[in-house]
Amino acid sequence: MRSLTKIYSDGNKAVDDISFNVHEGEIFGLLGPNGAGKTTTIKMITTLAKPTSGQISVFGVDALRAPQETRRMFGFVPQAISVDGDLTGYENLLIFAKLFFVDRDERKNRILDALEYFGLADKGDVLVKNYSGGMMRRLEIAQALVNRPKILFLDEPSIGLDPYSKKQVVEQVQELNKEFGTTILITTHDMAEADALCDRLSIMNGGKIAITGAPSDLKRSVGGDVLTVKTSGHAISGMPPGLGSVVSSEPGTVKVLVEDGDTAIPRVTDYFERAGATVESVSLSRPTLDDVFMKYAQGGLDEGSFREARSTRRSIARYGR
Amino acid sequence: MNNARRFVSSALTIAEMEARKIRHDSTELWMRGVQPALWLLIFGEVFNALRGLAPGGYTYIQYIAPGVLAQSVLFIAIFYGITIVWERDVGLLTKLLSTPSPRLSVVVGKALAAGVRGVFQGIMIFALALIIGVQLRFDPLDIAGVFVVVILFAMCFAAFSMTLASLLKTRDRMMGIGQAITIPLFFASNAIYPISLMPYWLQVASRFNPLTYVVDAMRSMLLTGDYSGLPVDILALLLSTFFFIACASTVLKRLIE
Ligand SMILES: Nc1ncnc2c1ncn2[C@@H]1O[C@H](COP(=O)(O)OP(=O)(O)OP(=O)(O)O)[C@@H](O)[C@H]1O
Ligand SMILES: [Mg+2]
Repeated sequence: MRSLTKIYSDGNKAVDDISFNVHEGEIFGLLGPNGAGKTTTIKMITTLAKPTSGQISVFGVDALRAPQETRRMFGFVPQAISVDGDLTGYENLLIFAKLFFVDRDERKNRILDALEYFGLADKGDVLVKNYSGGMMRRLEIAQALVNRPKILFLDEPSIGLDPYSKKQVVEQVQELNKEFGTTILITTHDMAEADALCDRLSIMNGGKIAITGAPSDLKRSVGGDVLTVKTSGHAISGMPPGLGSVVSSEPGTVKVLVEDGDTAIPRVTDYFERAGATVESVSLSRPTLDDVFMKYAQGGLDEGSFREARSTRRSIARYGR
Repeated sequence: MNNARRFVSSALTIAEMEARKIRHDSTELWMRGVQPALWLLIFGEVFNALRGLAPGGYTYIQYIAPGVLAQSVLFIAIFYGITIVWERDVGLLTKLLSTPSPRLSVVVGKALAAGVRGVFQGIMIFALALIIGVQLRFDPLDIAGVFVVVILFAMCFAAFSMTLASLLKTRDRMMGIGQAITIPLFFASNAIYPISLMPYWLQVASRFNPLTYVVDAMRSMLLTGDYSGLPVDILALLLSTFFFIACASTVLKRLIE
């Protein structure tokens, strides 16, 4: 999938001049508060809504010029459950296999595989209106897979699922990505899910993209891992650069900013002890994607606050040295 | 697969979807049979006593049987727009339009689905006619012809209704407009009385009413066996069907935006 820019307006600008690339084979997340324009973006890419301006290119195919050809590569799971309650699970998949022109002799196997894969094999002949919400969700994803899409769009797939089913869906999405190399574009409000799934993600706000990056980079951008070390004895006020930097040093409590919290704990402890301090406890606090979200999703991000964020980080680093 | 085959296959699949739903739950289908039955049994029987209302020496109930069939198909088709608005509301339409099937084939498929329902109406009304002993020409070719007309007619008005739905966008408005359209169409046609009995302005209006041509075609096949008007009837029907299908597939997108 290549560069894609578009402005969309229907009275209000739901999506305002955004661009992003999704690389082949990756899981790309689109996060943002309600009304940020995530669904609208997906609708435009899937050719369901026409962009006011801009270009969308999918594996070299111009989505606006050849919408039908483009749609053949897509699997789409909309935000609201939209499987047909008056048909059975099997029929729901059958109709879609036909509408996606799946070969007649392949149809049945694919459908049975998909049902099996999502744990619905024994429910294939039950009318979907008798399914539970979570089963409908799973059927919905199964339905989006009968055409073996190159790109799967998931608009909040885990909405309304219990923690167990949620985990299942996450795992299935991951497996799909690994096994078939399916490119996945997902929106979600569940930060832990996004963190676990996405290779890269964008945070949208007010129709614009606030920031794009790998979850780990984004988390680092709001501050790295911080170790809070409780000590007694000799006070520590500096650290060797390779290890970390002291953010604050009060009697008995030292906060250290480090690259990777887990591996730093033994080394920092070691350093403290050798410097003559007695370490009583070390606790690690890591920025989560929630922190990233809060930062970029509130009130919109302008250049100023971005620079400010970077410079605070830099000054923290300098302070330590 | 080439484009034409894809198109046909998509349209048939969408019609198949409807047929499968009917198979799972046919209650609505039977309920839809009640109204035409009442027309035939009550209206038909009562006016049967009045000789001379129907031209050509037919009994009144014979005369209105084709009209009642046409009317009941009209009712089904005109409310198809409501179905499509409902499908939009629950996300089914968005889902259909996210498949590579061309939009035109979605419209044709939905219209065909209305045709499928229309055929069931036809079967019910024929059965009823047999039971209460209404004399119709039950010639296999004529019956087949009537079904062709029923399907075309259902497609025509289903497409018309989908066009309206795409513009009006809500179920309530569609309910309102459905009522507002069907009754005048029904009365401004030759369904239950001959055009010659109408005031002049209504006679003119009835000439622009597709229902008139449909009833005329059905009557010629079921009653008179006089096919002289048939080519014009079929042509008028075909033209309006193509026209409304073209309209609907142009504006359908608006429903999901
Ligand atoms: N059909 C529509 N007509 C007009 N405005 C719309 C339409 N659909 C969405 N909007 C507006 O566009 C903006 C973005 O909506 P969108 O559904 O893309 O948000 P979202 O990021 O998916 O939010 P959520 O997390 O709640 O699903 C909102 O302000 C919404 O009111
Ligand atoms: Mg949304």
